[in-house]
Amino acid sequence: MCDTCGCRHNEGAGHEEPAKVGKVVDVHENLLAANNEQAASNRRHIEKMGAVAINLISSPGSGKTSLLEQTIERLKDRLSIGVIEGDLETERDAERIRKKGVPAVQLTTGGGCHLDAPMVHGGLHVLEHMGKGKKFDLIFIENVGNLVCPAAFDLGEHQRVVLLSVPEGSDKPAKYPATFRSADLVLLTKTDLLPYFDFQVDEASAAIRLLKPGMPILPLAAEKREGMDAWIGYLCSILPR
Amino acid sequence: MHEMSLAQGMIAQVLALAQQHQAERVTSITVLLGPFSGVVAESFAFGFETLKKEEPSLAETILLLERPNPCYRCLECGAETSLPKASPLQHALRAQVEGDSTAERCPGCASTLLSPLGGTELILQQIRME
Repeated sequence: MCDTCGCRHNEGAGHEEPAKVGKVVDVHENLLAANNEQAASNRRHIEKMGAVAINLISSPGSGKTSLLEQTIERLKDRLSIGVIEGDLETERDAERIRKKGVPAVQLTTGGGCHLDAPMVHGGLHVLEHMGKGKKFDLIFIENVGNLVCPAAFDLGEHQRVVLLSVPEGSDKPAKYPATFRSADLVLLTKTDLLPYFDFQVDEASAAIRLLKPGMPILPLAAEKREGMDAWIGYLCSILPR
Repeated sequence: MHEMSLAQGMIAQVLALAQQHQAERVTSITVLLGPFSGVVAESFAFGFETLKKEEPSLAETILLLERPNPCYRCLECGAETSLPKASPLQHALRAQVEGDSTAERCPGCASTLLSPLGGTELILQQIRME
């Protein structure tokens, strides 16, 4: 026990050597193996549906659903889009998407802080059913708003896009490195609010590229329809030929 | 993150293997936690110590954690290096003494353009049982 504060910090795990007796079984299996296997199967499923999938990750309120609404507005005449929404409760986000005329499945975790591959597997089947067998081009999976836990769970997506909104502050990439490091693209959202917040674009970009050099970063203000061309261009560039 | 549920999942994996090998008790479990896995080793160990009390075959089990240093490739000079990761306490002390300078640098050319090589692994390596 620690003499200063009485904690048990130095007792227990990792401090004793186990007796070298008994049977040794080498496992070398990922602790997330069950999730990762399902994710690989989801990826094949999505490809069979004709689509590429994007996992959207950010903190709550950074504009994932608004971005999707504006993206659908721009692309729905050209592409077949499907959306899987993740939240703790309510159908609200799926309803917002359906109003845009696109099939949307709401997954409610009931308290869970992230989506996992088995949940998305169920969502893909419902989406297929809603699409009445037609092919999809793009499937968006909007994760539960959280900058921590979703990073560890592969859902079977092809690209992972992380949003950072101006009101959150430019210090967030440095504070939540695992999520930003896992991204394929970072979107700086709500850039129309830059004049009203102490958000340093240079600081945020430098912190993101310190975590992953060369990370593409696109600034946009979806509801003001600013910066959307580059985002739409990126989406079109990842579509299967 | 969700260290408790990871520990729970690992216990299920370990118990299944113990049963498969007809072992009565598990003496040790070795787990590799990658430096970029996002898993806090102390919380994971705490979760395991809490949950193992429910399983008689794990009563004496020791959890051994392998925590390799993060590896990077420098995008300036191409060198591959392994840099020790500071513990949260060392980190706090360093920030107090040196200011908030937490960027890792290439030991060869001092560049901060370091691209992580792997490091997101969470692997159940080995179980010792009898």
